[in-house]
Amino acid sequence: MTENLTTVEQILERKSHPVVRDASIAPTHDMHDLLLELEAKGEIILQRVPEPYVEFTTKYGRKKKIPIEHTWHHKSCGHCGHIPGYASSILWLHRQFNLDYNDPTDQTSCTGWNYYASGASNAVGQAAVMSRNFAAAYETGYFPMIHCGTSFGHYKEIREQLVHHKELRDEVRRILGKMGKPLVIPEEIVHYSEWVYAMRDRFAERQLVDMSAITATVHPACHYYKIIAEDAIYDPEIYGGQRTAVVTALLEKLGINVADYSTWFDCCGFGFRHVLVQRDFTRSYAVLRKIETMINEANPDVTITHDTGCVTTLDKSQFAAKAHDRKVGVPVLSDAQVAALAMGAHPFRVVQFHWHSTDWRPFLEKLGINWQKYWDEFQGDLDQIRAGTKSGITWQDADQPINLTA
Amino acid sequence: MTSGKVLIIGGGPSGLESARCVAELGGEAILIEKRERLGGTPDRENYAKLTHHWRDASEAMAEMAAAVTDNPNVEVKYQAEVKGMSGSAGNFTVEIEAGCVAESLNVGAVIVATGFQHFDPGRATQYYNYYSFPDVITLTDLEKMLREHNVVRPSNGKAPKKIAFVQCVGSRDRQIGNEYCSKVCCGIASKQAIELRQQIPDSKVFIFYIDMRMYGYWENEIYWPAQEKYNVNYIKGVISEVLPKGNQLLVRGEDTTMSRPMEVTMDMIVLSVGMEPSAGTRAIAQLLDIQQNKYGFIEAGGAGGLDPVATSKEGIFVAGAASGPADLDDSISKAGLAAARAVASVRKVMVMA
Repeated sequence: MTENLTTVEQILERKSHPVVRDASIAPTHDMHDLLLELEAKGEIILQRVPEPYVEFTTKYGRKKKIPIEHTWHHKSCGHCGHIPGYASSILWLHRQFNLDYNDPTDQTSCTGWNYYASGASNAVGQAAVMSRNFAAAYETGYFPMIHCGTSFGHYKEIREQLVHHKELRDEVRRILGKMGKPLVIPEEIVHYSEWVYAMRDRFAERQLVDMSAITATVHPACHYYKIIAEDAIYDPEIYGGQRTAVVTALLEKLGINVADYSTWFDCCGFGFRHVLVQRDFTRSYAVLRKIETMINEANPDVTITHDTGCVTTLDKSQFAAKAHDRKVGVPVLSDAQVAALAMGAHPFRVVQFHWHSTDWRPFLEKLGINWQKYWDEFQGDLDQIRAGTKSGITWQDADQPINLTA
Repeated sequence: MTSGKVLIIGGGPSGLESARCVAELGGEAILIEKRERLGGTPDRENYAKLTHHWRDASEAMAEMAAAVTDNPNVEVKYQAEVKGMSGSAGNFTVEIEAGCVAESLNVGAVIVATGFQHFDPGRATQYYNYYSFPDVITLTDLEKMLREHNVVRPSNGKAPKKIAFVQCVGSRDRQIGNEYCSKVCCGIASKQAIELRQQIPDSKVFIFYIDMRMYGYWENEIYWPAQEKYNVNYIKGVISEVLPKGNQLLVRGEDTTMSRPMEVTMDMIVLSVGMEPSAGTRAIAQLLDIQQNKYGFIEAGGAGGLDPVATSKEGIFVAGAASGPADLDDSISKAGLAAARAVASVRKVMVMA
């Protein structure tokens, strides 16, 4: 009862209740309704989220279904090109729970680079690329899960364009027809970090590495929660439902101390077009607005994010700044990588720290992980590959979790 | 059967004035209020002084309530809510529940005075962190403290030295759907800024605004003294974020007069939260089957737009902020008009009957 509370206590009590999000007064249209209408008219095939799935609440109180398995892994160019530990960690996590998934070899890039950077494509081309990938997933019977935050944001924008413009749908359908593919839109566009969020309790149950001594800052990806903002997960338990919940929720579940900083909402600086034509801006922004602020205000051991571009920018901008004696040196990982590490994934065969340019050794040492031992093992793998006695590192080499601090 | 009674739903300022006017015009009023006391939002949210008359809010509400509770032509039912309605102008049957007792009322006209609620700042797309940081509060939170002459930072119980108001939170916002101006927040913020300067003389107070909307006498009675006598700083620029910085709050935005971005630290932020239709207004619109506008307020204005209390149903009228943002003068004026229209409506039916 609030009558016995002082005024300040009443104010704090009112603010302790997370905001009520009422879907009936959401300011945006409900994409689900629009997709169902198009399906009913025969305009699209609506691929349903397979069971098992979990439902979470998005920004304006609507529900979003996140599939646990039977997913088609729409991979990221930047993962595979720059930070392959990101992709291998996502799949390793699936494998720990024997989840059924499809890792396609015929997927194309989302070509978000065209859309956000070079401007070398057009709306029809972009929409056709997305639809081709979704059709390819549909034909396998698996439901698309998007690895890259940019792809996720890009596809959400295209979904709006397709849903609202019949002439675009007609043109894309014509193009897909040449490939013998139908026009498919999935019931949800799912980002892998939403799957990580759904699985965080299960990850924590199998956690082998104690992370309670670690302080981390979170960088939320603009393409995840700012683009088509209504389609991001918000959780009353995380920041009172005021900031998107993915990443932060996982870290808290793993026992990591999540520290706040005053540029939380700032972009990482990647910018796409910026990083192509004004790279100094990107580098400066990442270091001056994000990394230095994190260090000055939170002094984190690591910063965690959930997008290709963000990991790349924040990690790889620091060495240039270091040459100018700026205050840098925070290792950068994705949520999937930190979850995999927590569960005993090999630091080099799976998490692939060696692709990260900001020094990660202090972070691993603070966790009590003898990284040298695992580096030597990895070097042994490479020796075998050079000698021709091994074709590559396989899942058989990597699947078994390791008690990394033993 | 036709009835000469007028049902007023809601015991805030508009409902109270409607009831008083119905009685003054020789009619009979039934006023139902879902709380256990009258006074509406000014009472529930502990308003301190009313903009612009500076009158003590609880004293004003008590006066309005007394004009009704002491009136032999007004029956007041507390903790009562409408559950359903049937019939037509002159002969409505309204099912209510008062306490736990169901009752059926036969009335000739209805006045909806279910009012507004303040926007919940957690729903905004602006990143103000009301639910994360103790020292980000709303106008209504500050009213409570001003009323008690004890304005402190909720984080540490100390008087704030630098306070900033952020205008238009939850209003004039296409992204969250509340496109309209809530009309009163500029006046209230300026009034509160003056009160802060009076109560904490060494404080610095800032108001970050898009436009300062100071209608009529608010201009000279509030806006000019706020600046000239109380040195409140008005800065034109939208605030984009409120984030932590040490034990203060970092306010980030754009100073459009200086054409540059700005970052300033403050001890306390006050969000000028706008008006939305109350849950009661939304519910009553469904129960009475009267049209709402796209924001959820009761659609009013009549066919020609010259009837600000007419709803989509004959015999049902709306007063106050249930039809859209309104200040106290608006609410009281419309309440009087609604009362006149309602009484005229029932008399016409009774004459014809």
